[in-house]
Amino acid sequence: MLHIDNLTKYYNKKQIFKDLTFSVEKGEIIGLVGENGAGKSTLLSILATLQTPSAGTLTLNDLSYNSDWKKIRKQIGYVPQEIAIWDEFTVRENMLFFEKLSWVKKTEEELRQLCLEMKLDQWNEPAHTLSGGMKRKLNMAISLIHDPTIILLDEPTVGIDLKSKKEIGSYMEKQAKKDEKTIIYISHDMDEIKSLCTRIICIGQDSFYKNLLQNAGKNVLVF
Amino acid sequence: MRAILHSRLLHWKHQIIPLLFWLLLPIIAIIGFTQLMNGLQKDSQIPVGIVLEEKTELALNLADKLDQSPLIRLDILEEEQALRQLEKHELDSVFIIREGYQDQIKKGSRNGLVKSYQSDLSFAYTPVSEMVASYVQEETSRMKTAFTVQQLSKQYELENTWTMEEISEKSKDIERDQNLLRTTFTFENDNEEQTNNSLPSWNKWGLWAIFALLSTLFLFDWVIKEKRQSMQTRFPFIRFSFTSYCLWNTLLYGGLFFISDIITLLVFHFLLDQPISLSKLGSMMSFRLMLVTGTFLLAANMRNRTTYYGIAFIITLLTAIISGAIIPADGIVNQFPIMKWLNPLAPFLNNELNNFWLYAFLLLIMIWYIRKEKSYASYR
Ligand SMILES: Nc1ncnc2c1ncn2[C@@H]1O[C@H](COP(=O)(O)OP(=O)(O)OP(=O)(O)O)[C@@H](O)[C@H]1O
Ligand SMILES: [Mg+2]
Repeated sequence: MLHIDNLTKYYNKKQIFKDLTFSVEKGEIIGLVGENGAGKSTLLSILATLQTPSAGTLTLNDLSYNSDWKKIRKQIGYVPQEIAIWDEFTVRENMLFFEKLSWVKKTEEELRQLCLEMKLDQWNEPAHTLSGGMKRKLNMAISLIHDPTIILLDEPTVGIDLKSKKEIGSYMEKQAKKDEKTIIYISHDMDEIKSLCTRIICIGQDSFYKNLLQNAGKNVLVF
Repeated sequence: MRAILHSRLLHWKHQIIPLLFWLLLPIIAIIGFTQLMNGLQKDSQIPVGIVLEEKTELALNLADKLDQSPLIRLDILEEEQALRQLEKHELDSVFIIREGYQDQIKKGSRNGLVKSYQSDLSFAYTPVSEMVASYVQEETSRMKTAFTVQQLSKQYELENTWTMEEISEKSKDIERDQNLLRTTFTFENDNEEQTNNSLPSWNKWGLWAIFALLSTLFLFDWVIKEKRQSMQTRFPFIRFSFTSYCLWNTLLYGGLFFISDIITLLVFHFLLDQPISLSKLGSMMSFRLMLVTGTFLLAANMRNRTTYYGIAFIITLLTAIISGAIIPADGIVNQFPIMKWLNPLAPFLNNELNNFWLYAFLLLIMIWYIRKEKSYASYR
């Protein structure tokens, strides 16, 4: 469903990555790994239409990123690395706020259900009183209000406890298996990557991650 | 629009106290100032007692005349009480209008009509007694004139004769018509004259405009709060671009201000006796639109809230000083006529609709919108 062809990105003269070519199918969970500064976030934001590549073509469900980016955005759920929620709002108000502005109408019950599926049950708690893990979940739930078919997550499990990590992990698995969503996510947690991902994309020169994951019997694409 | 309203209401729910504070600040400030000024005026008035032994028209007229003076606080009392208060220095001086006052005046006699008392601490006795004397003189001479006219008309056997009262009224009318001795205060070419027979005059609408500027600036910090970097990643995946989100919300704030402006207008009318008219309403709306558009442009171009608040204060202060809204700045305006044209408050205070700044801001917003819309929403 997602085809990436000879994708290249430069910042000014500096090359971040070159000639990335791969495809991703429905229901896959792709892990994006690489050392700090390798260009993982850059790649993810290009896939999310937030940045443009220097060269190469991208298509999602036969829609071209160049001409149909408006339609493509409706299919993308982008979970930013930096938490983007209203701190003074409760979980409920945060969900309602973004639902009002969303393309898709949802009832309050549906929104609540979405949170509960992630084990985020503090519906009426102000966001600033939530734990780091709960904030991450809310940050993710907001991005999924409009029922995207492809979910792009930038380090969704960074800095949270094991329990929340597992809950987010199993939510992603359920989304991929049951609802056939495509998930691409960045993580530095190799155990998590090993247990969740069907395939792994490794960017950057360093072969540390590649070796580690290949030794664990994983399908690793290296760029 | 409904979606934006719903989402904005969620924000307002959490900001209800600062929201109400800033919305109501201008009107509360003006009411407070008015009270303060009135209080000051009361305190600086000289207490004078008057005793009316007769309650005839002319006697009451004299009491009225004294009461109208802004420098005097007149108490109508019984003689005994008045003298007791004078002894305690609660009154500066006491004037007793004697029985037979009106009759005596009509006869043209001026002796012994008013009896007066002062204490060793009296300092207003002389001017007040001057006032009384001149008033009595006015009345007696008016009566004398009337008497003469009547005599003359009798002598020449004129057909229509007047009564003393009619002649006296007529002469009062003439005095009133020619009464040019009142000083008037006007703001530039303001056509509502404000009679300046009270203590230092200040322009209520001018002061309100300054407070309205300050409150608009402070209420628009939402633009800076909501344009923070992390939130920017949400906008590509919702129905509204950040630019249209901003403009819709600016419109909503405009609506909120419109409601508070209507309330202000009513308060000014019913509590502060300021005339309201369609042109005032119109100029108020154009003024408000100018504030909202200008403030939005400022906030949209700022990143740091603390700096923004600082700039908000500086702008308000500068406007207060150079606009002449509080302190008349005729000197500067006369020297540099362009100042009048550039003064953002002048059209509002002169009840005019057209405001150079409003048009400039609207144009700038259009440019801002087109440019931002291109850079945010395009995918090259
Ligand atoms: N807007 C930009 N302008 C110039 N260079 C940039 C810009 N954004 C990122 N870079 C550079 O591109 C490289 C890749 O950055 P990116 O954020 O994609 O790395 P990353 O793999 O996500 O790293 P991390 O693991 O630390 O999140 C870095 O060297 C970074 O300095
Ligand atoms: Mg990154």
